[in-house]
Amino acid sequence: MSRPEQKKKLAIYTATGCRACEQGILDLNYEVNELGRFADPVFWPYVLGTPWEALSEGKVDVALFAGTIRTEADRQAALKLRESSELLVAVGACAAFGGLPGLANLADATEAKAGETTGSSSADGEGKPTLPRAEPQGLCLSQVVAVDYVVPGCPPTQNLLWAAVLALVCRGESPARLSYAAGRLPEAVAEAIAAGVLPRRGTTFAGEKAVCGSCSRIKEEKKFGICKRPYQEYQETGRCLLEQGLICQGVATQEGCGGICTGVGVPCRGCFGKAPAIFDPGAKMVGAISSTFDSKDAKEIAALVENFVDLAGTFYRYSLPSQCSLLATPDKG
Amino acid sequence: MSEFEPKIIAFLCNWCTYVAADAAGVSRFVQKPNVRAIRVNCSGMVDPSYIVKAFASGADGVLVGGCWPGDCHYISGNIKAMRRAPLLKKLLGEMGVEDLRFRLKWIAASEPSQYAKTINEMTEEIRKLGPFSRKKKSATRSVA
Repeated sequence: MSRPEQKKKLAIYTATGCRACEQGILDLNYEVNELGRFADPVFWPYVLGTPWEALSEGKVDVALFAGTIRTEADRQAALKLRESSELLVAVGACAAFGGLPGLANLADATEAKAGETTGSSSADGEGKPTLPRAEPQGLCLSQVVAVDYVVPGCPPTQNLLWAAVLALVCRGESPARLSYAAGRLPEAVAEAIAAGVLPRRGTTFAGEKAVCGSCSRIKEEKKFGICKRPYQEYQETGRCLLEQGLICQGVATQEGCGGICTGVGVPCRGCFGKAPAIFDPGAKMVGAISSTFDSKDAKEIAALVENFVDLAGTFYRYSLPSQCSLLATPDKG
Repeated sequence: MSEFEPKIIAFLCNWCTYVAADAAGVSRFVQKPNVRAIRVNCSGMVDPSYIVKAFASGADGVLVGGCWPGDCHYISGNIKAMRRAPLLKKLLGEMGVEDLRFRLKWIAASEPSQYAKTINEMTEEIRKLGPFSRKKKSATRSVA
């Protein structure tokens, strides 16, 4: 048992999001007890009901921030946590890239304004709580404040989340713990941790290649003859899902998950954001799918394209506010 | 002098459309000066990312020019371009890029007048649409 003064102070918070990332921390099973030995969760409203005042008692070492910045309250929370913590970590696709709530940015700006007027930031006369005022756009954490580390995923996979928590919270703890963390991270990050230093600021706790790199499916010749959606029946032959006509976004998505979805026949949805070498995930997916259309006839191709629905919502499902190059991104602050 | 001058990026295939563009100049066809030509080996190498990047970097229109189907120097490169265009158009439409802003045209080396006509038409049509702004979201997105 380590002495209380050696414990790292930990803050965990979710802005606009489903809280599956916080649930993910609880889902670390036995390790979550372990977490209590070397970290002191001084601020965790979801689990401990901590009030915001708790943050005023000295600086927090590591703050894990999940969720999209969608309301005025979210922005205040991000600013407050940035101010009061040493390391701010964006956990989950929402905080890292904008996530599903960020898809609201596809709607017309005038619609967002209409929503803005209905909300008010104070409670009304009868003491009923009202919704906080909506921001004009959903944003990822790094579009509002400086972010030190990013742990992507929806929610981040257990291994990765635990490895990241170990690496950042458990600095200077036992070598066994560190090697556990290092084994699950990209080489450069792992080397830094093994050497006892923090990885470079801005590091994303994910792989360097695309999901296809760690996907176990058999890749043969790609011919896209029909567009299927995941609920439609298909033959489980162990072949690449994209080759079978399912929109699998593994080609455009950053590795790190270990291909767990594609391994059980579920097409990749892109929750790790785009791979570093890719300019725009939507354009990459259009290229990956359409250049292998199994037709030379313009009419047939047009008919095939008719089958595709909601391209923007599919290709930028988790990353619209930050990684879609056709959408103007607002300045910080 | 305040009239809007559209910026058009043209990806021209080395074997057909680029030769046509060259010949259009030599033949002294009147052309709008709004096109920035980029010579590529084949229309089939124009990745959708290039087109998206052009729009993201401030282009008001993008033209991809290739050989007529069957005439490709690399046998089927232009067919690849043809396959990509409809799906890319759909994505661009959802992101608020109007249909007229992106075009795929077959212009053979022997058709310089066709090249001049295409860019003159395109410039005027985009001028009517106005500048492309990434912030402008149109309601063209359909959810099925």
